[in-house]
Amino acid sequence: MKIFKIYTSLNTLFVTFLLIFNADLMAQSDLKISGKVTDNKRESIPGASVKIKNSTVGVATDNDGNFSLTVPNNAILMITSVGFDNQEISVNNRTEINIVLKANIRELQEVVVVGYGSQRKVDITGATASVKGEELVKQPVLTATQAVQGKMAGVQIINSGQPGSSPVVRIRGTGTALAGTATLFVVDGVLTDDIANINTADIINLDVLKDASATAIYGSRGANGVIIITTKKGAVGDLKVNYTMNAGMRSAANLVKMANAEEYANYVSAASGNIISAGTTSTDWYSQILRNSWQQTHNISLSGGNEKSTYFVSGGYLSDEGIVIGNKYDRYTIRANNDFIVSKKIKVGIVSLYTASTNQNVNLGGAYNDSYRAAPIIPGIINGKYGNTSVYQNVGNPILDIQNGDDKTLENRLQGNFYAEYKLTEWLTFRSGIGGDWVNQNQRVYGKKFNNDTTTFITPGGNQRNPNSTLSNYSSKSFRWTWDNTVTFNKTFDKHTFIVLAGTTAEQYTQSYLRAFRKDVPADPNLWYIGTGNANTSTNDGGGDKWARNSYIGRVNYNFNDRYLFTATIRADGSSRFPVSNRWAYFPSFGAGWVISSESFMQNQTIFETLKLRASWGKVGNDRIPSDAYTVTVTPNLAYPFSGGTATPGSAITEIKDPNLKWETTTETDFGIEFSALKGKITGELGYYNKTARDLLINVKVPSVTGDADGQVLTNAASIQNVGFEATLRWRGKINDAISYFIGGNITFNDNKVVGLNGGQPILDGGIGANQQYTTRTDNGQPVGSFYVLQVLGVFQNDGEIAGYKSANGQVIQPSANVGEFKYQDTNGDGRIDDNDRVFVGTYQPKAYYGINAGLNYKRLDLSIDVIGNTGNQVYNGKKAFRQGIQDNVESALAYTRWTPNGGSQTEPGANGGNLPPSTYFVESGSFIRLNNVTVGYTLPKVLLEKIKVSNIRVFVTVQNAYTNKKYTGFTAELPGNPTSSGIELNAYPTTKTFAVGLNVGF
Amino acid sequence: MKRKLKIFIASFVITGTIVSCSQDFLEVPLQGKPTTATDPNLAQSLVTGVYNSLLAGEAFGGAGGDVHGISFITATNIISDDAEKGSAPADQPNIGAVDNFTHTPTNNFVAALWSGYYSGIAKANQAVDALNVAAVDANTKKQLLGEARFIRAYYYFNLVRFFGKVPKVLRVPKDAQDANNDPNFQTRASTDTIYKVIQDDLQFAVDNLPLKNKIGVGRISKGTAQTLLAKTYLYQKNWQKVLSLTQDVINSGQFNLVSDYAILWRKVGDNNVESIFEIQTGQFNNSDLGVNGYATWQGPRVGGRGGWTDLGFGFGTPSPNLVNEYEAGDKRKVSTIIIIDQSLKRTGTILYDGFRIPSADSVQNLYYNYKAYASENNNIEPFLGNRDQKQKNIHILRFAEVLLMNAEAANELGQPGNATTQLNRIRTRAGLPVAKASSLVDVRNAIWNERRFELALEHDRFFDLVRTGRAAQVMQAAGKNFVAGKHELLPVPSLQIQLSGGKLDQNNGY
Repeated sequence: MKIFKIYTSLNTLFVTFLLIFNADLMAQSDLKISGKVTDNKRESIPGASVKIKNSTVGVATDNDGNFSLTVPNNAILMITSVGFDNQEISVNNRTEINIVLKANIRELQEVVVVGYGSQRKVDITGATASVKGEELVKQPVLTATQAVQGKMAGVQIINSGQPGSSPVVRIRGTGTALAGTATLFVVDGVLTDDIANINTADIINLDVLKDASATAIYGSRGANGVIIITTKKGAVGDLKVNYTMNAGMRSAANLVKMANAEEYANYVSAASGNIISAGTTSTDWYSQILRNSWQQTHNISLSGGNEKSTYFVSGGYLSDEGIVIGNKYDRYTIRANNDFIVSKKIKVGIVSLYTASTNQNVNLGGAYNDSYRAAPIIPGIINGKYGNTSVYQNVGNPILDIQNGDDKTLENRLQGNFYAEYKLTEWLTFRSGIGGDWVNQNQRVYGKKFNNDTTTFITPGGNQRNPNSTLSNYSSKSFRWTWDNTVTFNKTFDKHTFIVLAGTTAEQYTQSYLRAFRKDVPADPNLWYIGTGNANTSTNDGGGDKWARNSYIGRVNYNFNDRYLFTATIRADGSSRFPVSNRWAYFPSFGAGWVISSESFMQNQTIFETLKLRASWGKVGNDRIPSDAYTVTVTPNLAYPFSGGTATPGSAITEIKDPNLKWETTTETDFGIEFSALKGKITGELGYYNKTARDLLINVKVPSVTGDADGQVLTNAASIQNVGFEATLRWRGKINDAISYFIGGNITFNDNKVVGLNGGQPILDGGIGANQQYTTRTDNGQPVGSFYVLQVLGVFQNDGEIAGYKSANGQVIQPSANVGEFKYQDTNGDGRIDDNDRVFVGTYQPKAYYGINAGLNYKRLDLSIDVIGNTGNQVYNGKKAFRQGIQDNVESALAYTRWTPNGGSQTEPGANGGNLPPSTYFVESGSFIRLNNVTVGYTLPKVLLEKIKVSNIRVFVTVQNAYTNKKYTGFTAELPGNPTSSGIELNAYPTTKTFAVGLNVGF
Repeated sequence: MKRKLKIFIASFVITGTIVSCSQDFLEVPLQGKPTTATDPNLAQSLVTGVYNSLLAGEAFGGAGGDVHGISFITATNIISDDAEKGSAPADQPNIGAVDNFTHTPTNNFVAALWSGYYSGIAKANQAVDALNVAAVDANTKKQLLGEARFIRAYYYFNLVRFFGKVPKVLRVPKDAQDANNDPNFQTRASTDTIYKVIQDDLQFAVDNLPLKNKIGVGRISKGTAQTLLAKTYLYQKNWQKVLSLTQDVINSGQFNLVSDYAILWRKVGDNNVESIFEIQTGQFNNSDLGVNGYATWQGPRVGGRGGWTDLGFGFGTPSPNLVNEYEAGDKRKVSTIIIIDQSLKRTGTILYDGFRIPSADSVQNLYYNYKAYASENNNIEPFLGNRDQKQKNIHILRFAEVLLMNAEAANELGQPGNATTQLNRIRTRAGLPVAKASSLVDVRNAIWNERRFELALEHDRFFDLVRTGRAAQVMQAAGKNFVAGKHELLPVPSLQIQLSGGKLDQNNGY
């Protein structure tokens, strides 16, 4: 009832405001004015905002800097544009007004969207970073997050090469182990976990809120950072059409060379003692399942408007074939963003996006793994018949792994936000926004019928077969709505400026799915519907989810004389995912800033234009836990066939639940320095953060006698700490009128560790095959997901070494070892090698990650270069570790470097049958540095274009992932994964290299 | 215009109030997950869930543990002199460790048994709790309680035979803290206490369950409870009780021997007149429903030259010791053991469903457990393609054992004549001549020997050796590293000792 009261009083407040301030503002005569906005070099400024002061009425300038607007004859115009100082001009009955804006080279003046509002960067007391839309579209990638890799300090992006996939985003380290790690995305006010539906070309700005003081306004969802995406809007003026495209070729960036038939025969003969003949075939399995593939994107947008309304509509198409045969991802997007100025006080708008995507998936786990293991002496496919690898070595034929089925996912998604803004007075604004996100997904997986006979294979036998065709159909739909109501008070009293925000938000999510399955569905794709299958084989399943959140937010920004800044925020979050006793949580934050450069004692120095210190403290939470985590549920369909035949369904309570489950809470302290110096030539930001996440969900083991099916209970116990330092520097220079350039870099050092499991069970994860049940351990004092393996001491060179390798009490430690096998460290000294001898040997989380960005403009040519990298982390060569049969293939290099009685290698074992225990042998450096993107563009001269009525043409060539320098011997050191099992290369999609050409035309 | 706007905004505000005013907004009922409150037939459904736990067979730390899967096969058959680990030499060394008595407290199969049986006991406890408050008629309630308590007793009987002393858990913990703090959950009760629990439950079942012909096929009947109760007394050498209970079962007229031993473990023999306690299998959700992995773990395995699609992983293979000890003419041998063709004529082995296993050069092992074989030919035995859940009923108690228990008790009570009468019913069916033994010791040995072949690979041999005090002698004679005073019992899983804070004590010698 309390909630009700607060809400009612808040609403009463709104109504009161409405009644008091809804007075008619003016009744003067109106005037149509026009003009041009330019910089001091008389270059036009497109997209500048020309507004009547203290109203919502205004327009943006067109591509040539022109604007026209109807205004009261005595109005004061407010002209603003990013990168220029604001300017006010009185109309004074003039009809033509040309405005020259003074360039403002201080990047800190830029506006950052901070959640339920925006602020100048210089006024923010928390840690934020931004990337502009034009930066994002340079790269031939699916999502905006892929394009910001290496562009911002404190933001680690881990990419996969898989078409249609979104990268893993880690903002300032990994702060959870078992709850969700997804960063919150806010797309035009719509909260979401996934932005694969957003056409990058529609984005005007991407802002990242990094520290707790910045994300506390998102309270329970701020713990993993917040990324705010703002899409383009129309500007007043004639219709503008813009077309951009790029198309290019992708290829595998780095492949491991596997042994050829001869090397293979040699190795396996040595390992097995049986002579294997190399034969006449030598199959390179990777080349059989990989290809060079096409990718292309096309975007067209139309925008314009008048004083009453503006529009931006766009259509996009993206197609990415993927470099694995049979793979393809297509995405179509349609966007319409409209703003309507209803009256001088009221503005309404809508942003809407429809996305349809088709993903033709491939069985990568099977095919890619099998390619590593399949013997090269077996042919791939000859005259439509497959080489029978499974009869030879119990490994599927990789080509057949892909071609034995068809797996397609269709997704339709509609996302939008409708808002109304009511300016009650010049200093008080009410805003209400309703956002919705509908997702419909349909997956159809067909498994073809084939037998292990000569219809399918060159030779019969083996276990790769599918006696019945199968069809599985999965369909899900979800709907999420959010409703935000805020009041913003913005007023300056002399030198004191206050911006106060208060508001409420409500959110609800519902989801349901249905799955159906039948066998014996005909092979004709036109008949791939459940109804055509054998009804006696049908099975089905369905379920759903629903949760709700309700929140109250408040923020006070106080600015004294542009020198002293103070911010306080509070969010009260209620979530249905927690029991009533822990349902509400409060997330406060405080920040303070000192703009030293505004002090009088700084006015005589000429080094710094801006120098600001900031410090903040805040608390944020994470409620990404399953809806049923605290409720005791009954597991249905535990059936028993009493008299044979069809079983009677039964049930059981299989899980003990923690009825007092609560929020994961992260407390973060942040210090920063921001500056711009030497007339804006150099800008930079240094930051330090220390954040500790507490009450993290972790499984506590309970004895089996309690009957808990998995023997563990999810509860709040663990703590994880991330401490880091981040630095961003950018130098911008101009050699002469023709040549300008910039070079910038950022680096983040992060130290992650589990402060305490507090009775929680160490998490063992990262299992690879039968002999390596786990390879990582998340435990006290260690980084999350640390590799935990046996230490290799060397290779036994002779029988004497085996016999002489004894424990303190004289026990031979590895009595069953043979020469040429690994000697492992008996860590606990008990005279035998087992899991108790494992040691921690590092983690996938890098000690540092960095990006270097540089650009050069020479007349009409532009060049940009992005380099990214990370250092100080480890990866696990899971493919190598997965080798588990004596007839499995090996890497080509091993054929030469392996231990031999004469060679005496201390690091590579002799020829063996795989199935090795997890050890440091498989742990390798994960450091890499990559030339991520190089783009060269050329803008055609205007004189040429005027003849064909085109305002702008730019052509460009771009290379993505041109070159990587890494120590890792596997395919890629960039391995997205869960916190507790990151950095294990097992089924990672091969990273790709892309060469593309592009075109940008504006009419 | 202005007025419209006011209405517009006011309507926003009002809607906002409606949505958020109801404090119920955050009171979101769980979707798609039933709770104890949402199921009106909870108690009945939970009892079926207890039966369902009989099918558990997850040996690698997965949810539910192992009741009758490979861990059970390992700790009953493979551990004994009747069966070997089998399979390929490198496959599952932890099963090999049990076979060779080198197993340690960290053995995953041993751990899976502990968690499987206690998981089942927890389900029985839940069902008993729910039944006590359920609104069902008195007769139904008594029957359901009898069933749940029978299965709980059966689980404790297996536990006490596997581990000796075990924790006595007869209630459902409230939450994790309760589970971690109750001393009953943390310490082991004496075997006498556990036998008391078992016999209380079974006596309740005997008193409250109807006769077999009064209830549906596959449900626990009075006779089932009497037979298991008799068997618990057999382990306590309470001969009088064994005799009277088995006599009741014999006289009940509900059971008899089937004429053909070969059908006992085949689909055609399911729930025959000899069946007393049989784990039922069938189908559910258009798929097979059986004991997880039972048939496939023991299925014949491809090896050598390969070239055929095999039926399983080849574990629990009959030992040459068992194969060679059958008396000449014993009809039971060929329906207990699949003998792989070693004749070099490559005729292979044709099974009862017509399936041909190639000769030894293409097969991993020389013998396989025929009783665990389930046909994949849907015209012979039902099979819907799920190899993990093949429809293979497991015969835990059957009338032949009642006769053998009756014989043993009679003999011990000085009635060797009655004993040999019952014994000979078994021998005659097996195609063997009547027993010649007449002295108490000879008859006793004859009965013990008959138990071995009659119940071969039926999960009784090792327990029987320990019960009769012959384990060390027999196992050592079979060439195993059996240590007397240690290997009669399995080790308490080390994880469970850790989780008890060291309060669970370990068995002798581990």
